[in-house]
Amino acid sequence: MAFLIRTIDFTAAGREIIRDRVVEQASLTIGRAAENDIHLPDLAVEQRHVRIDLQADGTLAVRALGTLGFGLDGRTVSEASIDPRTGGEIALGAARLAVAREGDGNIAITIRQVAAEEGKGDALRGFALASVLPSKRVMSWAFAGAILLALLIVPVASYLLRTPVKNDPTGETPGQVVMDAAWSTGDLSLRHHSLENNCESCHVGAFESVQDETCLSCHEDTGDHARSNRLAAGMPPLSAGDALQWKIAESLGKEGPLGCVSCHTEHEGEVRQKPASEAFCSDCHSNLDNRLTDTKLADAHDFGKDHPQFRPAYYASFGEAQPVRAAPGSKPVEKSGLKFPHDVHMNARGGAARMAVSLPQYGQPLECKDCHTLTPDKMSFKPVEMEDACESCHSLVSGRTAAGGFSKLRHGDVKDLAEDLARIGSGPRATPASGRTRPGQFARGGVYTADFGRPVRAYIGLSNALAPGGICTECHLPTTRNGQRDLMPVNLPDRFLTTGYFTHEAHKKEECTDCHAADTSKAASDLLIPDLKSCRDCHLGATAVKTKKIVPSSCAMCHSYHLPSGQWSPEAEGNDPHYRPAPAPDKTKVAAIFGKATP
Amino acid sequence: MATRAGGTGRYAQDEKRRDSDHVSFLKHRRFRWLWIALALSVTCILGYVMIDQQPRPNGGSWYGYTLGTIGFALIIWLSLLGVRKRRINPGAWSLKAWTSAHVYLGLSLIVIGTLHTGFQIGWNVHTLAYVLMLLVIVTGIYGVIVYATLPASLSANRKEMTRAQMLEALTAIGRQLETAAQPLDRAEADLVIAALSQDVFAGGALARLTGRYPGCATARALGGMGTRSEGEQRVVALLEKRAEQLSQIRGALRIRALLEVWLFIHIPLTIALIAALTAHVISVFFYW
Repeated sequence: MAFLIRTIDFTAAGREIIRDRVVEQASLTIGRAAENDIHLPDLAVEQRHVRIDLQADGTLAVRALGTLGFGLDGRTVSEASIDPRTGGEIALGAARLAVAREGDGNIAITIRQVAAEEGKGDALRGFALASVLPSKRVMSWAFAGAILLALLIVPVASYLLRTPVKNDPTGETPGQVVMDAAWSTGDLSLRHHSLENNCESCHVGAFESVQDETCLSCHEDTGDHARSNRLAAGMPPLSAGDALQWKIAESLGKEGPLGCVSCHTEHEGEVRQKPASEAFCSDCHSNLDNRLTDTKLADAHDFGKDHPQFRPAYYASFGEAQPVRAAPGSKPVEKSGLKFPHDVHMNARGGAARMAVSLPQYGQPLECKDCHTLTPDKMSFKPVEMEDACESCHSLVSGRTAAGGFSKLRHGDVKDLAEDLARIGSGPRATPASGRTRPGQFARGGVYTADFGRPVRAYIGLSNALAPGGICTECHLPTTRNGQRDLMPVNLPDRFLTTGYFTHEAHKKEECTDCHAADTSKAASDLLIPDLKSCRDCHLGATAVKTKKIVPSSCAMCHSYHLPSGQWSPEAEGNDPHYRPAPAPDKTKVAAIFGKATP
Repeated sequence: MATRAGGTGRYAQDEKRRDSDHVSFLKHRRFRWLWIALALSVTCILGYVMIDQQPRPNGGSWYGYTLGTIGFALIIWLSLLGVRKRRINPGAWSLKAWTSAHVYLGLSLIVIGTLHTGFQIGWNVHTLAYVLMLLVIVTGIYGVIVYATLPASLSANRKEMTRAQMLEALTAIGRQLETAAQPLDRAEADLVIAALSQDVFAGGALARLTGRYPGCATARALGGMGTRSEGEQRVVALLEKRAEQLSQIRGALRIRALLEVWLFIHIPLTIALIAALTAHVISVFFYW
């Protein structure tokens, strides 16, 4: 067994010089000193650095002779064993000694010098993940730049550079702000949904809160709840946080807590805007008189617990121009100018009932609807027309016409009545008993016939009709005007409860007399508008527990904020009232889904 | 006496500093910043529950603005950790305290940010900022966890070798392989050439993170090498050594990648978050 020591050097020209020598011994020493078997003139190598011994099993034991170790296959060790069949590489300074077994069984040690590796630090950099990923700085700039560009710079620039145009809910007109949809904090409510792509229709000025003026440009008919100074005085004090927020916001140009948007918050989802909660009203109205000491409004905060008695409008005296509202706590006596005992007409066994039974258009005792007809909006009733409602019993037939029908007195105007009565007075008189008639064209009906009846009879008739006990005073109150007999004009308000909303449609399961005590009313002076108590049979405040009978009723069920008295109006016939009760909450989401799934 | 007292004081100070040097930033000052962050979060939750926000809680109520301002200030300050850690200068500001606060106050931002949204989420710049914030926090949590767990395995993987030595070992094996492969025929020699010429760091970020290198030429060479002749056996033995060395290096790469990958999300998303936050604040008041 021998070691073949092969030294590879390079000339300055780069040519390789290979020198081989064979050392016939079982161990080798390597070091800087010349007496070593392998002499390495390298300051990094010890004088006697390593000793290699051939072991009995054919492996090589490599041992450092000093304190300094040596490199073996890249690892620094001070003692190691090399199997020559696999081989190994010993590193000593700049020399690399490759140990391998040759084909003839000798162990070759090939020595070559390696150039000091430059850029080793660079190689180590490969260990960092940064070597295979884009740089964090580049990614940061890219992300931030994309976000700022798309979500800020483009919308702001298009806002600043556009020529403002008329509002276009479809967003198709050129000159709209582009890419501002991502600024929306949520969908607009149902009624405003068409403005979804048209932010600047409400957000008119940059850094300017939505102004009332903008809202009113569409909602021009919206009434004020009260004068703004009264509203401000009536409001409860703000919490410290709210006060501070409003102070800051108002200093920056936001309209105060009485501005439209402070109640009508938007971007809360594509839903119907909710009616105001009971608390919204009671915040001010539960003790309004503490702050607005001169208010005529009584405090209210819960329909079931604290709500003033109704004050229906009625005519307090005969012939008034305007109805008045009942004083709180008073029992109004209505001066409508009519005589009408409801009880007589509604008594199922009375004369009126008998009469109605005998008449073909009734056929049964009178019912309320025989005279009272709902208006199309189902909120109130049409005025009762004498001709439709009364005349079938209270007949105004005055005689027979020549054609065989009936003539009747016209109703409604005393002048018409006077004319009709005058016509009766000059109408055909009884044929003389002799049976003789005038001849030819002088006969009755002829060209030259003349009626010489006494005209005064008509005046007597009119006077009788209007006088107490006359036909008119069956229903009307007699009076005199300018010395002449006349009738009291009939005054009934169009609407009794003027500040609340009420629909008969929602109450059609009730009997009329459940609320209106008509069956016991003996005189027309009874105001048959139900009182608070009769409503409270079913309607209690919003916090009441809903049962089969009890309906929790918030303020908004009857009252509107912006139109305290104008919610109902004859002009706006058929218009839906603003308020629609909120749908009952779903039991659970799952139940709701199943409910939708089953047809 | 005075000098001795001073000396004792200094000794005590040094001891204290030495002790504190070995306390994790998580446990810094007995979890001082954890308690501060918890107190802040609980206060914010209590405020959210107890303060009547009309008509509903959202970022636009006074409480919402308050939460938003706190959140914005925190985000800006937390992101300044990157600046702070580059300023190596003396002063009363401890980087460890700063890091501790960064972690715990960052976690409290989950509460503050969520309450600021009023749980109103949509496809808009506002929710973008919120989601970016959550992503930054989640990657930060990951970062804290790996910093606490992985360095030990990184050290175990090294087996007393430096990274330079690992590369050097691979080079040494490569040189031996080149000699040993001399007797091989063309096909096998090509396999060895492919194995030797493949960069030790070949493979993308995914390969590093998973530790799977389907394109590894050394593995392919091992698979294609015969074992009939002595030369082939030697090459196989050397290839196995190379594969072993490679797997150590790749183990180090994997642990290193797992340690570092979060920063490649955390940092760019933080900057993106600041951009989204800017857009959020400006847009809210632009369309007030």
